[in-house]
Amino acid sequence: MVGVAALGQGVARSIAWVGALARFFFHTLEAARWLPRAGRRVAFRVLLRQVWFTALQALPLIVVLSSILSFLVISQAVRELGRLGATELIGRLMVVAIVRELGPLITALAIAGRSGTAIAAELATNKVMGEVNALEGMGIDPLHYHVLPRFGAALLSVFGLIVVFDVVAILSGLLAANANGMTSAHYFNIVLASLTLRDVGLTVAKALVFGVIVGMIPSFHGLAVRGSPTEIPVASSQAAVGSILAIFLCSGLFVVLLA
Amino acid sequence: MTTLPLRFEALTLPGYPAPISFDVPAHHAVAVIGSEASGVDALPAYALALKRPRAGRVLVFDEDVEQLPRRAVLAFRRRVGYLPAGDGLLHNLSLKENVALPLRYGSDLGEREITGRIRIMLTLVGISDVADLRPADATDEQRRRAALARALAFDPDLLVLADPFDGLTTRAATELLELARGGESGAGSRRTLFMTGQSVPMRLEPRIEVRYRLAKGELRRES
Repeated sequence: MVGVAALGQGVARSIAWVGALARFFFHTLEAARWLPRAGRRVAFRVLLRQVWFTALQALPLIVVLSSILSFLVISQAVRELGRLGATELIGRLMVVAIVRELGPLITALAIAGRSGTAIAAELATNKVMGEVNALEGMGIDPLHYHVLPRFGAALLSVFGLIVVFDVVAILSGLLAANANGMTSAHYFNIVLASLTLRDVGLTVAKALVFGVIVGMIPSFHGLAVRGSPTEIPVASSQAAVGSILAIFLCSGLFVVLLA
Repeated sequence: MTTLPLRFEALTLPGYPAPISFDVPAHHAVAVIGSEASGVDALPAYALALKRPRAGRVLVFDEDVEQLPRRAVLAFRRRVGYLPAGDGLLHNLSLKENVALPLRYGSDLGEREITGRIRIMLTLVGISDVADLRPADATDEQRRRAALARALAFDPDLLVLADPFDGLTTRAATELLELARGGESGAGSRRTLFMTGQSVPMRLEPRIEVRYRLAKGELRRES
């Protein structure tokens, strides 16, 4: 009985979390409609700073992850599929497994872990230090100053870094294919022949959805703290767990509904 | 009839059932002093509709701000200067950028005009030589001066100050009060000031026209 009650409480908490997050998301979208003209300049500055941190500073990490992953997968695939005489499948493997599935997934996870936790910790600290209250007191909506720019920056950064991940993965795959005796022309032929408009569309859709997750969940947890410094690491951890979970769930939904 | 800048009507403070009422007349400096437990800290938040009182209402320039839609509340707050407890400065911006923030967000002034106005404000509060410091690298007094400059950015008629003198020397507190008053008009100070805190330096008392003490839910006028 106690177990059932605990399970029920857990489910109720999860539903409440999703509801609160959805409300926060729609409030943010609504706030965007009446961002003052002058406020747009201020928000744009914050957005640029966030893009610098979220996208540009994360570039080396994404390049390393993408090149190593692609090199390992394609090296193994050329060898194993070569034995079966099915090297043509490398193109499909590259497009489906790496460009369409792992590219967006790993990029979003890396940004959620690196920047999502930082966003949550930063906003939670702002709240604890009274900065959010001071903004409100000056007539500046924290959604305009803190959330919208981070949301926009997360969308741009996730999208941009997924493109970088995929391009680097294809180039790294080329190196792996060359190292295992495949010519560059053949490699590009089979990869480009496997790439369809649908794959590109799915990758873009994932970039948008993961961008929303990385922009919203950390901001939500960061601003949800009440005022105690001990809540800062908790908010950071909740942001990381929530984002990772949401990214995996959405990735699964994409496969179930669209693949 | 002139508009009353600030009126607290039958306000109930947390933990105390008896309502309190008082006015902040135009061109006056009004202070409410009380211990942390008295609930005095909540008054500035009520004045700016940052918190909702359990009962009663606050009228700012005859307007019940609590009843306004959110967008109008934010626009309304930009008409009132606010110096939060501590300083409320954004730690990732320099003191100068902090002072410029309300103007950049809430006015249609060009960048050159904002820069000029900020230079004047920083000189006025005496921190132009440290304007590029981040709050973490500035002293308490410099931070408080920057926060005051930020509160004065729109040259408001009403200034709400929470714990403005906390941790300051009497000299610094005197200067801060004079800057906040903004000079003298025929009826008193040019600006209307409403301040709360745990104490007011004795030397400043003559410069504060109305002083209340809040204790155990009772408001007593001291001057």
